[in-house]
Amino acid sequence: MRRLPMPILAYFAVMSALPLFMGTTGLFYDAFQAIFVFSLVGLGLNVVTGFTGLLNLGMAAFMAIGAYTFAILTSDIYPFQIGFWWGILATVAIGAVAGFLLGAPTLGLSGDYLAIVTMGFGEITLDVLKNLDAVTKGTQGINPLPRPTFGPWTLELQQERGWYWLLLGFVLLAVLAVRRLERSRSGRAWLSIREDALASQCMGIPPKRTKMIAFATGSALAALGGALFAALLSSTGEPASYDFQVSILALCIVIVGGMGSVAGTLVGAVVMVGMNSLVLVKLADWAGAAGVGNASNVLASPNNWKYLIFGLALILVVRLKPDGLLPPRLEGGSS
Amino acid sequence: MSLLEVRGITMRFGGLTAVDDVSFNVDQGQIFAVIGPNGAGKTTLFNAITGVYEPTEGSVRFKGSPVRLEPDARLAWRAAVVAILAGLSAFLAINVQELWTVGIAANYVLNQPFPWGKAAGDALAAARAVPFAWGVLPAILGAGVGAGTVVALWQRSRRTPDLIARAGLARTFQNIRLFTDLSLVENVLVGMDSRMHSGFWTNLFRLPAFSRERAWTEREALDLLAFVGLSERAHEAAGSLPYGHRRRLEIARALASRPAVLLLDEPAAGMNPSEVVELMDLIRRVRDRGVTVILIEHHMKLVMGISDRIVVLQYGKLIGQGTPAEIRADRRCIEAYLGTEGEG
Repeated sequence: MRRLPMPILAYFAVMSALPLFMGTTGLFYDAFQAIFVFSLVGLGLNVVTGFTGLLNLGMAAFMAIGAYTFAILTSDIYPFQIGFWWGILATVAIGAVAGFLLGAPTLGLSGDYLAIVTMGFGEITLDVLKNLDAVTKGTQGINPLPRPTFGPWTLELQQERGWYWLLLGFVLLAVLAVRRLERSRSGRAWLSIREDALASQCMGIPPKRTKMIAFATGSALAALGGALFAALLSSTGEPASYDFQVSILALCIVIVGGMGSVAGTLVGAVVMVGMNSLVLVKLADWAGAAGVGNASNVLASPNNWKYLIFGLALILVVRLKPDGLLPPRLEGGSS
Repeated sequence: MSLLEVRGITMRFGGLTAVDDVSFNVDQGQIFAVIGPNGAGKTTLFNAITGVYEPTEGSVRFKGSPVRLEPDARLAWRAAVVAILAGLSAFLAINVQELWTVGIAANYVLNQPFPWGKAAGDALAAARAVPFAWGVLPAILGAGVGAGTVVALWQRSRRTPDLIARAGLARTFQNIRLFTDLSLVENVLVGMDSRMHSGFWTNLFRLPAFSRERAWTEREALDLLAFVGLSERAHEAAGSLPYGHRRRLEIARALASRPAVLLLDEPAAGMNPSEVVELMDLIRRVRDRGVTVILIEHHMKLVMGISDRIVVLQYGKLIGQGTPAEIRADRRCIEAYLGTEGEG
């Protein structure tokens, strides 16, 4: 296999070394664990929207499907209890199947219509999770969930560094998978559909099957992200943790990073999620210490400025760097 | 038997008849030209032949038979979709919540072994207790809706451009349609897709078949770029090419599928005289590779210079066909195309 490009190598070098300077616990880990989870979701959306050009506004639903599948299959409140690793495998498979099931009837739709359908799918998924409470425990969420084991050794919840590296490892696997697909017949077919759907079909590429595979791949990655998100909290959390805002956050990551760019998606996740879980939290702390902040005053709490800042970041990127922070770069030849 | 037989093709868009009962045969190894004034229906005819449009009437026979998906293609896959839909509708109608409660929640005690057999029995009993109409009717309904959709989709997908391209009819477009963000090699490799076999898993896990296929496809893509004279820019983005070169890349991309027939839609549009001469040479070399060429063109010097046979369209109707010499002598064709004497 040809080497990963410099930006991606640099990202993994820096990220794997970073915890050595950050102590063993604290805000840094909360932020970066979220960043890695959303990197996975972003990579999935990058396959669907960045490579294949299909606007998917329901990524959160696939995250939720992943989280709940993982929880139902592994939690000890249910009899299945297949364990962490089998749970992850099953989640990825079921995420892909869910992608196929949604894709089969809808991928004939073009552009905006597909976006609306995926958005609706996200809302329906939330409602099902809320109301099917015998299975999903309604707004409580399913907990506790098992910890990953490595032979005799178990990764406990408070071992922040371990989780950090585990999640980084999953991101690395996902990056390798997505890059391999991108630089192959499968990925070229996706890109050709994005570039010119009619020309692509006239070159013998079956549009529907190709889109379905892209959709299933993206959904599988989002489901993996959702399962790890749940495992990290040892709970699926309430269904509202997978609402429309989450889908939009995933889209922001891909747009800010650069549509169709793997390295860009990684950077986009650091920027967007980092702003949310690191910068805003720090800002709130600082404001509180300085006596400026006030949790009871809506405007004085930086956390309430979140979406304003998201929006601003998006506008800035689209105005100043329309192709994203790290746009896809043509690499010599194929694969 | 001709390689391509066009039988009474008619294309209507609402009240407008763009192509009206056009028939002709193209023989193997010919360079065949379709000429006619703007708006005569030439590109519409191409679109009907390549499956972009479904002809309102008439048919196209390629190598003696119509190009379309046979009824048995991927039947198992379609049956599975219907079965899944039927099962899912029944399952949902019977009430997932209740089945779960009766089967799993009622039988499971924390940290005790789970009685799988009893759970399945309980769930089945609960499902049986549901009135017949609630369980079986939704299943039948789901299967019906599924089967209807599958049949409708299958009917629509029987004669699509991708099937026709795979059968061996490749084309270029009047307004060049390249994959501008992909490199030249990648453009050609997309064209080669129908000859590749590596699937999703092969590509994901980089199985040996992947490297083998990559080796020969890249070699052949570079050969094709050399054939059209673009090899020195092979790894640049297609969008960076100057106009004249884009046509050549489009031809290379179309040739990549090793088509039996290549349809060129106004290949000389916007070219200067020396580029046209090069293009004529290229088209002849394509023919010499054993590819039958059908082209739409306004450039008379090119058409008369290389065509073996010409058909003339006017207002969607075929008004004449023959060798270049015959067309040049045909009064009706001259009037239609060049205007009557005195008009200029």
